[in-house]
Amino acid sequence: MVCWVCAAALAAQTGDSASTPASMAKLPAETLLVKGAWSSASDSTTPVPEGGTVADHRYTNDYFGLRYPLPGNWIQQYEGPPPSDAGDYVLAQIVPKDSSDAANRGTLLITAHDLFFTPVSATNAREFLNDIAIHLGAGHEVEQPPSQVRIRQRDFVRFGYASPAIGLHWYVLATEIRCHIVQFVFTTRDRALTDKLLREFQSVDLPGALDGLPHPSSGDAPVCLKDYASPMNVVKRVDPVLLEHRFNPIPVRVIIDKEGRVKHAHFLSAFPADAKTITDALWQWRFKPYVIDGRPVEVETGIVFGRELPVTASRKVPN
Amino acid sequence: MSLRAAALLMPAGLLALSIASQGFAQTDPGVRPGAINGQTGATPTSPLPLPSVTPGGPLEFFQDGLERFQTAEVVAGGEDNGLGPRFNLESCSGCHSQPSVGGSSPPTNPQFTVISRGVASAQTNVVPTFITANGPVREARFPFFFTAGGAVNTNAPNGGVETLYTVSGRPDAGSGCNLTQPPFALAQSTNNIIFRIPTPTFGAGLLENIDDSTLIAIRRARSGNNLGISGAFNVNGNDGTIARFGWKAQNKSLQIFSGEAYNVEMGITSELFPQERALPGEESSGAGLPAACLNLGRAGYPEDTTHFSPTTSSSNPAVVNASIPSDAVQFSTFMRLLAPPLPSTTTPGGSNSIVNGRNAFVNIGCGSCHTPTINSTQPSNVTASLGNAAVNAFTDLEVHHMGTGLADNVSQGNAGGDQFRTAPLWGLGQRIFFLHDGRTSNLLVAIRTHSGQGSEANQVISNFNLLAPGTQQDLLNFLRSL
Repeated sequence: MVCWVCAAALAAQTGDSASTPASMAKLPAETLLVKGAWSSASDSTTPVPEGGTVADHRYTNDYFGLRYPLPGNWIQQYEGPPPSDAGDYVLAQIVPKDSSDAANRGTLLITAHDLFFTPVSATNAREFLNDIAIHLGAGHEVEQPPSQVRIRQRDFVRFGYASPAIGLHWYVLATEIRCHIVQFVFTTRDRALTDKLLREFQSVDLPGALDGLPHPSSGDAPVCLKDYASPMNVVKRVDPVLLEHRFNPIPVRVIIDKEGRVKHAHFLSAFPADAKTITDALWQWRFKPYVIDGRPVEVETGIVFGRELPVTASRKVPN
Repeated sequence: MSLRAAALLMPAGLLALSIASQGFAQTDPGVRPGAINGQTGATPTSPLPLPSVTPGGPLEFFQDGLERFQTAEVVAGGEDNGLGPRFNLESCSGCHSQPSVGGSSPPTNPQFTVISRGVASAQTNVVPTFITANGPVREARFPFFFTAGGAVNTNAPNGGVETLYTVSGRPDAGSGCNLTQPPFALAQSTNNIIFRIPTPTFGAGLLENIDDSTLIAIRRARSGNNLGISGAFNVNGNDGTIARFGWKAQNKSLQIFSGEAYNVEMGITSELFPQERALPGEESSGAGLPAACLNLGRAGYPEDTTHFSPTTSSSNPAVVNASIPSDAVQFSTFMRLLAPPLPSTTTPGGSNSIVNGRNAFVNIGCGSCHTPTINSTQPSNVTASLGNAAVNAFTDLEVHHMGTGLADNVSQGNAGGDQFRTAPLWGLGQRIFFLHDGRTSNLLVAIRTHSGQGSEANQVISNFNLLAPGTQQDLLNFLRSL
């Protein structure tokens, strides 16, 4: 109830400080100015997973190399929350513009789950959806077990389930991009709409699609390697000294250049002061270059600072 | 729900609001009539303790705490001194009383009559316009400090409680303490004000006795969900353990919760918070409270302490023992020993509707945050009912991003300006005001307000909107059965 920290010290917690005027005659309604732990990056030009946008009736995400034309008369009503400290993203939620349209009673949720940080013990899309399948609640039924499918020359895993008592169907298409599980979750009241949305999904643009269009993630993206920041690969390590919020897990994705230096740091969830402290430390790290066919390549890996969420054996993933 | 039953619980205007369709086909059934907290024997002034709270110690401590919870504090010269120099109300139960002592905001707001009842002087106080006769009990906060010119300084986050009334002018406050109320009119005109309503405390002891590993396991089990829900824990800054009380889960224990409320809401210092509290602006400027406003109780600090001698001459040793701890400790004991509310299996709408509604609640994803049952508490050294017990609170005790529509721009610990603790839903059926600021009494409005720019709940609310009207009504009936 009482703000124990002086106002000046908390000033750094206000979000978008560069765009928010120092003083305002009246605060705008429904505007978040004081953020907690949030996503941030060491530069504003390198694409990040949460950087996707909806424009010209299309969802575009440069990090994943994804371009998805929205179904007709569907829109993004709201943006999603920031990434979580467990590596979960809401990339977009697409809904019909007219919620009373009986023929379009459904939603599409596009999510991403960072395999470097997710507590789900899955290494690929199949394992990820298998895990969801075995943990479905009692009121759900599997309509289509997880199985492989090829869409636009790219491998997906599809999975369908429903809750008959409430009349809702879910159809999930999941694929792996840059060590993330990217999911398209269709929720509908009838299978006909699901089928229609799946037919339209064939026009999605993804890395690996043979259409001649440039894809930032096909060939240009760094190699993603989990746990590359292990002692055997880190030549020099400088530990950041976290003063406040030191009990928080702070997941960071770093891109390491061919010389073994950190060139980009993306914080999924961090308070600004912690992000700066960690970034200052990371610039001093040195890795062994990762070599493929005798040539060093850029690497993307994940590191958790602060207190990592403990691993439990309670969630088992079937093969 | 019959109109007569509803009238027993709320004024007619509020009743009309709660059952009006407001353009929706489905309607909030309104406050559930019948047994208070679903418990046989509970009354508006006598909530029930846990079953293991029996005579010979625990029950006497509970009853002593209940009595103190209802005590009207004064500044000086009475039995319970120390009120002020600023306060939001003069007793705990004044705010926490719906449907019984320990609950949430009552239908008629006692803060509205503070001056007419003589608790605050009309010479030095006015009732703020956001305090209304039939609106929720509220505390107010300014998200940001003001500049000298009265603009909102967005470089200076505030977020502390701006207490409503002062004791200046009260006969028992003397003549030297001249305080003014915070600039509420300015704050309202600049949109730099937010509100919080009282959180209900039934079953709080069970929430307090859940081990951290249990909560962490619940969070991990929800990983990879197809709903866009993530969540995070607010933690105690000293030892990193999970905090869980308050709208942003900012408080670690019921004792901290009690001590802080005693100090902030009533201005009474205790062994937990031994110093008098100034307004945030007075603190940050270094001015603090004027010397003439200190030690108004004339007994020194803290005003609430352990009693080294019993305060009763009862022949019951347990009653004597219960009089020893301080008020703040006894408040926490009372809350810790409060029984949780019990749901109705038939009202409103009938058992089939309630069962269908519960299934819908879980299957569309509401239960991902509003976890129906946490199994279970750790062993208890306090009383048997608190140990190895299922907690049917419908909460995960995590903080979640609720988007800009609900954001209050107040940061507390790990919780940022749009993050709130999943409100426990047990007892929801007999609550009147919803959401952290009591902005609505309509449950359907409260549900739909969960969605907005940046909210984790958007997909779940979309799922709710996809339900057939009858299923939506079942879900509302289920919630009002809690």
